[in-house]
Amino acid sequence: MNRLARLARAADWTGWLGAAIVVVMIGAALLAPLVAPYDPVAISIEHRLSAPDAAHWLGTDQAGRDVLSRIIHGARASLAVGIGAVIIGALLGVSAGLFAAYKGGLGDQITMRIVDGVASIPLLVWAIAIVGILGVGPVTIGSLQFPNEVKIVTLVGCLFSPVFARVTYAVARRIVGADYVKARYLQGASHWQIALGEVLPNCLSPIIVQATLLVAIGIVIEASISFVGLGVQPPQPSWGTMLSDARNALYSGEWWLPVFPGIAISVTVIGFNLLGDAVRDLFDPRNEARTLVA
Amino acid sequence: MSGPILALRGVTKSYPQGGLLDRLLGRASNFVALDDVTLQIARGDVVGIVGESGSGKSTLASLAVGLTRPTTGEILLDGEPLAALMRDHAGPWRRRIQMVFQDSGSALNPRKTIARCLAQTLALRGVPRATREDESMALLALVGLGSEMAPRLPHELSGGQRQRVGLARALAMKPDILIADEPVSSLDVSLQAQVINLLSRLTRELGLTLLFISHDLAVVRTLCTRIIVMRKGRIVEEGPCLDVLARPAHPYTQLLISSVPKGIAGRRAPAAAAASATSSVG
Amino acid sequence: MSAPLLRIEELRVAFRGTGGLIEAVRGVDFGVAPGEVVGIVGESGSGKSLSMLAVMRLLGATARATGGRVIFDGEDLLAATEARMREIRGRDIAMVFQDPQSSLNPALTIGRQVTDVVRAHRRVSASEARRIAVEALERVGISEAGRRLDAYPHEFSGGMRQRALIAMAIACRPRLLIADEPTTALDVTVQAQIVELIAELRRDLGLAVIFISHNLHLVAEIVDRVVVMYGGKVVEDGPAADIELAARHPYTRLLRACVPSLHGPLGPLAAIEGAPPRLGRMPAGCPFAPRCPQAADACEREMPPLATDGARRIACWRPQ
Repeated sequence: MNRLARLARAADWTGWLGAAIVVVMIGAALLAPLVAPYDPVAISIEHRLSAPDAAHWLGTDQAGRDVLSRIIHGARASLAVGIGAVIIGALLGVSAGLFAAYKGGLGDQITMRIVDGVASIPLLVWAIAIVGILGVGPVTIGSLQFPNEVKIVTLVGCLFSPVFARVTYAVARRIVGADYVKARYLQGASHWQIALGEVLPNCLSPIIVQATLLVAIGIVIEASISFVGLGVQPPQPSWGTMLSDARNALYSGEWWLPVFPGIAISVTVIGFNLLGDAVRDLFDPRNEARTLVA
Repeated sequence: MSGPILALRGVTKSYPQGGLLDRLLGRASNFVALDDVTLQIARGDVVGIVGESGSGKSTLASLAVGLTRPTTGEILLDGEPLAALMRDHAGPWRRRIQMVFQDSGSALNPRKTIARCLAQTLALRGVPRATREDESMALLALVGLGSEMAPRLPHELSGGQRQRVGLARALAMKPDILIADEPVSSLDVSLQAQVINLLSRLTRELGLTLLFISHDLAVVRTLCTRIIVMRKGRIVEEGPCLDVLARPAHPYTQLLISSVPKGIAGRRAPAAAAASATSSVG
Repeated sequence: MSAPLLRIEELRVAFRGTGGLIEAVRGVDFGVAPGEVVGIVGESGSGKSLSMLAVMRLLGATARATGGRVIFDGEDLLAATEARMREIRGRDIAMVFQDPQSSLNPALTIGRQVTDVVRAHRRVSASEARRIAVEALERVGISEAGRRLDAYPHEFSGGMRQRALIAMAIACRPRLLIADEPTTALDVTVQAQIVELIAELRRDLGLAVIFISHNLHLVAEIVDRVVVMYGGKVVEDGPAADIELAARHPYTRLLRACVPSLHGPLGPLAAIEGAPPRLGRMPAGCPFAPRCPQAADACEREMPPLATDGARRIACWRPQ
């Protein structure tokens, strides 16, 4: 609460702009069926390729589908992949980084070398290859069926995990040496109590900053994978598939087809980046209330 | 029991130097932080361990509480080997030996209120939830802090207050032995005196055995009954505090004594004395 | 007193805070005569280091001098241009800081760092600069200075680094050396040597020195005059012997009594209850009043003026 109040005072307008964009985008994604003016997959041949007008604010595509509605629904796939991949990456990476920093010695060496190994795999290429081999259809494991996006979220999450591992490791190494951690150890606290109760909470700020920045990268990756046809499958909308479909329009003059999804991607990415910067400033100790020593 | 409450027998702690390659090629040398130290601390003793950087005094503290393990030698807590006790990480022996740290800035978790810090400590000692708050307040009172400190975060406290909380946290475990590693050297002089007086009163009232690690002979003289002077990982002199300070036998102890600022009185002291002492020590 | 070399008049320094300016140095006033050694004693937050950074115009972005004058050799440094200050810093006034580790560039040899200072202020050849550097290092007691020029800071011990920094400071023969807690980060035996070195330099080079410290005993060993600061103000100022042995301000007296000594009687130390005032929460009256055993109502209400009393000055309504 204290921190939020300080955010309100400290954050400059760029931070607020970032937060506003993120809130609007997430809101649009969650409430897509309510806020989208049309059905995103409803084909209407008589309205195909109409330029932006009062009925279709952002125009329609080759099949007469409303571009605005498709962008709003497309936000679901983009944000789901961006946020989902960050959650998976953070779970894997933070655990690895925390374990290595806390354990030290051989455990540290082995864990961080595995992290280096994962980081050296060109996962984006692998992601495309794996989806290419497994196909773009849903995956069935036992009685559960997962849509294609799950593959992408998992692979991008693995791609992100070394970043989280290294950030966590760097901060946690310092925290593990702090006297309050030693004091807790000397009280006979368990390793879980120390790692999760003392070390992790003091590592969270750079992790959160990293997370907001990686969501933006995740959105771009989703768009790229969908653009080459291995992500969200037609007719379901996604910003990447919309751009992909708009390729032909580049030469025939229907400018609204590539421009608006492109703007959606850029604005969302900028929004998460601004929010990330603001969160970083907020957690920066220089902005914390502290006594100035003469 | 009449034996020493804490004893070190031929304790050596060395750290390998050089990287993995050096070690594989057998080129690595060892840095010896503590070199074959044997000492006994009797129950109720207030012992000052004095030395400069590299003397091994802080290594001795981490070994005695079990933060690090000796390379060779044995540490005995009330006659029982620490190495055996440490197999039970959270055993009842834990609470018996506690530590107060040097840097008041890093001694407390910056995200925990004072009340939470103390309550979690009491929980580990097995104090039931219902009485934790009362006992926390009693601990704060014991170290001279008001209950208004309880809901505060460490950064809202002054260095001296944080150091008192660190002391309260150690006392929350009801220890028999307290190891204080330069607990006042990060404090302003006016706060230093408060904490020294507090430590002095508490060791008397609670019958604590105190190992007070310091580079300041004058502080040790005020607080301690015994003194151990260390240099380069070895004990060079030990004995009753006032005796050693009045009649230092080792040249290094003499140098330390001559280095204490004496104010106006120190002006008459010829520079030659300090210089000759330096050269004899190297 | 002869014409002062440095005259600080009503100096005020404030930090930029969220709620406007927070004053940390609140009207500091004293002078340093040529060749005089002055000690400034105070605890953290007393404003002692900050006033000296203001003299050097090294306050950085978070603080600035908001009032007063700093007259060095007839020139107001607070009004001088930055180019002029670059000339003065290092050549006329040099400064040595607390932490010798972070004051030296780890990537350059000691010799390079000393000759850089020399060549920044004097138009001399490389070999001449090297000769001056060797001389300066020998002057501060570094043996085999010629060979040590090619050493890197990490090859030096803490005490040697502080000596090297002092060599850099005196290489251009400044008239004033400001030493900000130069011995605090060092071992006690090394501390004694550095204090001795500063006393020696003053004797041999006729250097004026401002020695900042929190330790009154240490300062009294080498200075002519002690300025005691508390809460951004000078509370007492006078000859070292008077201040150490017969201080009249209750704070100075307690400051001396609360530091344990090797010879005094045993028993509890005199303690100063409470803590120094925090920035932005300075009391309206005497800053020491809330902790002062002698405080009366008047002390809480109004700041006592710094009144002259013979060779000393004292700011207290109820001096002893």
